[in-house]
Amino acid sequence: MTSLILSPSEQDFITRGVEKGFRADGRGSLDRREVTLRTNMISQANGSARCRIGHLGLGTDVLVGIKAEVNTWSPGEPESSGSIVCNVECSPSAAQEFEGRGAEDLNVELTQTLDRMFNGPQSGIDMSKLCIIPKQAYWVLHVDALVLDVKGGIVDALVWATRAALLSTKLPRVVVESVADEDGNLQSEFDVVDDAEDQVAIEGVENLPLSVTFNQIGKRFVIDASEQEEAVTQASLTVAVSPQLEICAVQKGGFLRGFPPSLLSEIMQAARRVARDEFPKFKELYVAAASYQAGDEPSTGSTFLGAF
Amino acid sequence: MSGAVQDRRRINGPGRSVEPIYTTTPLDASLAKGRSDGRGLDHMRPIYAKAGPIASTAQTTGSASGSAFYEQGSIRISCAVYGPRSGRKTNARRAHFECDFQYAPFACSSRTHTQTDEHEISLFLSNTVGPAIRLDSYPKSSIDAYVTVIESDGKMATLAAAINCISLALADAGIEMYDTVAACSMGLRGSQWVVDCTQMEEAECSMLVAYMPSVDEVTGVLQNGKTSLEMHEQAVQACTNVCVRVYAVICRALQASLE
Repeated sequence: MTSLILSPSEQDFITRGVEKGFRADGRGSLDRREVTLRTNMISQANGSARCRIGHLGLGTDVLVGIKAEVNTWSPGEPESSGSIVCNVECSPSAAQEFEGRGAEDLNVELTQTLDRMFNGPQSGIDMSKLCIIPKQAYWVLHVDALVLDVKGGIVDALVWATRAALLSTKLPRVVVESVADEDGNLQSEFDVVDDAEDQVAIEGVENLPLSVTFNQIGKRFVIDASEQEEAVTQASLTVAVSPQLEICAVQKGGFLRGFPPSLLSEIMQAARRVARDEFPKFKELYVAAASYQAGDEPSTGSTFLGAF
Repeated sequence: MSGAVQDRRRINGPGRSVEPIYTTTPLDASLAKGRSDGRGLDHMRPIYAKAGPIASTAQTTGSASGSAFYEQGSIRISCAVYGPRSGRKTNARRAHFECDFQYAPFACSSRTHTQTDEHEISLFLSNTVGPAIRLDSYPKSSIDAYVTVIESDGKMATLAAAINCISLALADAGIEMYDTVAACSMGLRGSQWVVDCTQMEEAECSMLVAYMPSVDEVTGVLQNGKTSLEMHEQAVQACTNVCVRVYAVICRALQASLE
């Protein structure tokens, strides 16, 4: 993460505050900052979403674009399943140290986190429905995330944005035909319908998980850490929870310390509780994003930047 | 996989080569008749661990500070630790600890499989073993652990074995630690958690827990796949218990290396 330099007294202030249940911005330890969501702003992508956690200018900002491509099957790959490929890039506009290869480690870590949550049946998406013709062609969903600003809580912003983007993704309809070739064998061919109106959503996207990241500061933990709180964090745990409240992925970050098993158990319980409250909140934001009209805000630039 | 990223460290084969597809049916992977090697569902594979095989009595510069060789069933891993030494990334307050994880090209069942996630695993290992080291004792220096997987059998199990191997090598190097980290993995078969799954037994949902018994701290948790909260907690509990047994083996190996 970005290396924010805090004085020892600041660090002490934050640590002791968290242990007493106070946070610098007045939130409770299980409160998330305000989330803003916008979808479908990138016309070239099959689906897109932008998520900001925190308020304008002082938040973590992530933009996710989904592009669907047809891939030819090669022996060794699963025979009737599509695939999801995640890629996260931190833009140098987020922090100076992301310039050049500076963000490489962070990119790898975030890509792996997203991949663990979304690539596979644990994401809730029906991967077999992404197959067009078994042993021949399948959809590959490229989830490309661009991190525009980092002010703490990057993983959660990524997951919220990815979930919104996948929910808004529309795949072109595919028509599969079986034709008999010269030897009388049935060959399957497919045609992608090139009609912007004739598109389908991905099956199973309602089951996509949301993530909650817990940062351990002192002896207590908080969710959605701000930049200062992250600088004092010794260890973090990201838990992905599905709408059915199952645990989809767990990943521990931070190399300074571990968790006692009892704290780990407490965190997992809290994760489920928090996720249960966040799914309706997400739905509300997503519905609002879908009905967001360009002309609603005073025009200070393009729609893209308008509300942000 | 065709179109895979070219690994510049190795001489790659032709662009499109795949593992042969076998016509005979594989061994029955279901556990209805018990596990193929006769283990109980909560038994790990037998472990052989040795600290210090890459010791060099003649040279003092350029040789590894500590090393270890670890075997668990057919998983074979070797680790060399260099440090504390001066490094590129220095922090004035603590040592910079980094793991470099690498599969040997012949380690996995598929040759191209080895290249994909080595970097991610390296980061995960650094985060998991890091909490055990007294980094504050070595400011401005660098501690590097180089792990080479000679043979792999089960992804999560190999990761767990790598963690155990690094702990052993770090202790062999004489680096101050709070405790050695012991790790174990589990796979979910049906509604039963099975300890230490081989590649054949590996399932959709698997869990890895790295634990420091003396300090009672879980330094690493990794879960792949979906499961309910209750099952997850059951697994963490069971894993911590198995980790204590692995810890005993690592300690015994360290004692043996002193004799």
